[in-house]
Amino acid sequence: MFKKLYLIYGILVLGSVAYAEYRGLSLDSMNQLKNVPKSVRDNPGSYRSVYSSYHHYTGGK
Amino acid sequence: MSSGQPPIQGIPKPQVKALNCPKCGAAITLRALGQAISVVCPSCHSILDAKDPNLRILQEFNKITSIDPPLIPLGTRGKIRGTDYEAIGFERRNIKIEGVRYHWHEYVLFNPYKGFRYLTEYQGHWNDVAICKELPIIDSRFSIPLEANYFGELYKHFQTGDANTDFVLGEFPWEVRVGEQARVTDYIHPPRVLSSERMSNEITWSIGEYIYGKDIWSTFHLPGSPPQGVGIYENEPSPFNTNITSVWKAFGFFAIGLLALMIGFDAGSKKEPVFHSSYQLNRGEPKGEGSFVTNTFLLGGRTSSVEVATSAGVQNDWIYVNYALINQDTGQAWDFGREVSFYSGYDSDGSWSEGKQDDTVVVPSVPPGKYYLRIEPEADASHSTIVYTVDVKRDVPVTAFYGIGFLALLIPAILVTWRSVSFERSRWSESDHPPSPIFNTENS
Repeated sequence: MFKKLYLIYGILVLGSVAYAEYRGLSLDSMNQLKNVPKSVRDNPGSYRSVYSSYHHYTGGK
Repeated sequence: MSSGQPPIQGIPKPQVKALNCPKCGAAITLRALGQAISVVCPSCHSILDAKDPNLRILQEFNKITSIDPPLIPLGTRGKIRGTDYEAIGFERRNIKIEGVRYHWHEYVLFNPYKGFRYLTEYQGHWNDVAICKELPIIDSRFSIPLEANYFGELYKHFQTGDANTDFVLGEFPWEVRVGEQARVTDYIHPPRVLSSERMSNEITWSIGEYIYGKDIWSTFHLPGSPPQGVGIYENEPSPFNTNITSVWKAFGFFAIGLLALMIGFDAGSKKEPVFHSSYQLNRGEPKGEGSFVTNTFLLGGRTSSVEVATSAGVQNDWIYVNYALINQDTGQAWDFGREVSFYSGYDSDGSWSEGKQDDTVVVPSVPPGKYYLRIEPEADASHSTIVYTVDVKRDVPVTAFYGIGFLALLIPAILVTWRSVSFERSRWSESDHPPSPIFNTENS
């Protein structure tokens, strides 16, 4: 019984990996936006990144 | 197995003979007429010689049956392996191991054509037992039994002990006695058990097969439900064991499949460089708001990934770049920030370093079209001049998926192996050959 389940599960895993690769999915996090105004091209400062003012690491050992 | 309660038409009913107990006068019914050696009076529990027409008393035994009544009442019928049997005898036996006395029960089943068969029960674990048709070949070293070969099947030695009979009821095909002692040796090949019983100079071999209580209940139409099996019995079939090798074979097959996918996608992906440019963030330039856009570049082909790589020659410094990958025509955008930082030095532990001077990020499922990047670099207020490079590639494979897929396949295989090993360790911990502990805690 477990072997059958494992076979189905394994096929699903391989299928998922193949699908992710084919569709070009990624594990990196990012924000997707729609309808960004074309004026950004002429005035880049008008665009507000959701990632700005990120708290950066400034240390070292 | 299936039911066989009332006598089936065509199959003759066992011959019965009614007699009276010479001790208490209670009626005794002999079911295995001519084949039973002993019979126990159901009233006073005197053990009588079934061959003696006057039922000579072999042993008097006044213990009350209600202390430990048989779970299958004598006279109950059931079909085992296609044959109708009637429960005609019951005995309770015990074995003393390391000062602890363990009790089990044995039932004598009888069919006038097929003869005797036995059922044993220990803490809810049942075995269907028959006398061996052939003498097993024993492999022993220094008179310690190791293995038994029965019809080409190897049975591992499990336990040897002295069994005592402490209660009997019904009819038996041997001269039964309370207090009867036998040297019992069990060899196992789950779900089967091969047992030898030595009494003085006589050795009897029997072969048993594990049977679930629910099947016994169904066969004998017993009321209620069978007692739950306690722990793991010596020949209880492992729910995992049979699958282990095949699971690892399947895992190997899937791992090869995963590798083939990785090679295939790596060979098939374009990894096409579509943009490359270097920039400079000058010393003292204000933090943030230094945003700009790149030239447009074409992302061709089908919807696939886009890799954005940032490399910067930072030394004990950092740069943070806010990116937006924007489709010039549709306005669709992916917004993300990446940091490149690298620190190194020397202290009492020696030299050290932390971080990297490059970074890559994969933007998922980007449709084909004309795109540009909006870039907004940030750095520490006191930063030195930082030169950084941005590279964009179309259709890159993500190797992390294969790592996740490999782990997803490996974890269930490890879990089921672990459970199987635990099951076998529990089984053998009750044997004469207990497994050595995995973690030795004696010295801790």
